[in-house]
Amino acid sequence: MTQNPPLTEGVYYILISLYEPRHGYGIIQLTEQITNGRVKLGAGTIYGAIKSLLDKGWIKPVDDDGRKKEYIITSLGKEILENEILRLKELYENGIRITGGDYNG
Amino acid sequence: MAKRITKIRFYLDYEKEERWINEMCKQGWHLVKFGVGYFKFEQGKPSEYIYRNEMLTDLGKKANSKEYIQFLKETGVELVAKFATWAYFRKKIEDGPFELYSDTSSKIQYLNRIFYLFIFIALINFYIGFINTLGVINDYSTLTLIIGIANLVVACLMTIPSVIVYKRRRALKSKLDIYHD
Repeated sequence: MTQNPPLTEGVYYILISLYEPRHGYGIIQLTEQITNGRVKLGAGTIYGAIKSLLDKGWIKPVDDDGRKKEYIITSLGKEILENEILRLKELYENGIRITGGDYNG
Repeated sequence: MAKRITKIRFYLDYEKEERWINEMCKQGWHLVKFGVGYFKFEQGKPSEYIYRNEMLTDLGKKANSKEYIQFLKETGVELVAKFATWAYFRKKIEDGPFELYSDTSSKIQYLNRIFYLFIFIALINFYIGFINTLGVINDYSTLTLIIGIANLVVACLMTIPSVIVYKRRRALKSKLDIYHD
């Protein structure tokens, strides 16, 4: 298993959003919704990120039948995301174990 | 028809320019067109929009600003006007905060793009300017001297925004020492 550096929050939420086909605006909306408005992705930021993720083969365009371009995660993308979730789990569990975790976020 | 005004302004810092455009919007003057040193506004509802400018060029890469503008449109961002490599976009204030770049990494990438273009223009002008003013070419004339001086003026003018962008980029980079953003 190759060790990837941590993903940015933006890339993390783009990959999560693309478990179902979505276009740019759909990614922005879902991310805002599931983070209760905390993460508002800029259109310039996700445009650049989508380009890079397409180049890396982590996502791919869905067959273009409509006006808006939709994307979906690839199996490579899923593997990267799953590794990232494991990394986050380790961070989380170590944090809770050592600090005791008796606080409210 | 709505009332229109033209303002003559010259900014070396594009962020200051953007702040001024937003200030004008607060007073009910909506930007509709711009070029070198001038801006055209149309009267409308005060504080209706948030304006953002962006440099669209990416040196060394095939520019695809049409696709980008279409992408922005699908997210509810309206193209106001384009001039050379710069564009102004806007979104209604009631739709909430509007930023094109939302994290530090993508802001740094954007600043890189601006910095490399500015420094490229500055260096090219210094180079041509020195050739023309120092009379390296045999047919030295008043005309080449004038052109040469113009090149040097442009070069100096481009150095100022290059330094501004360089400092801005350095400040953002230091944030990445602690945060992964």
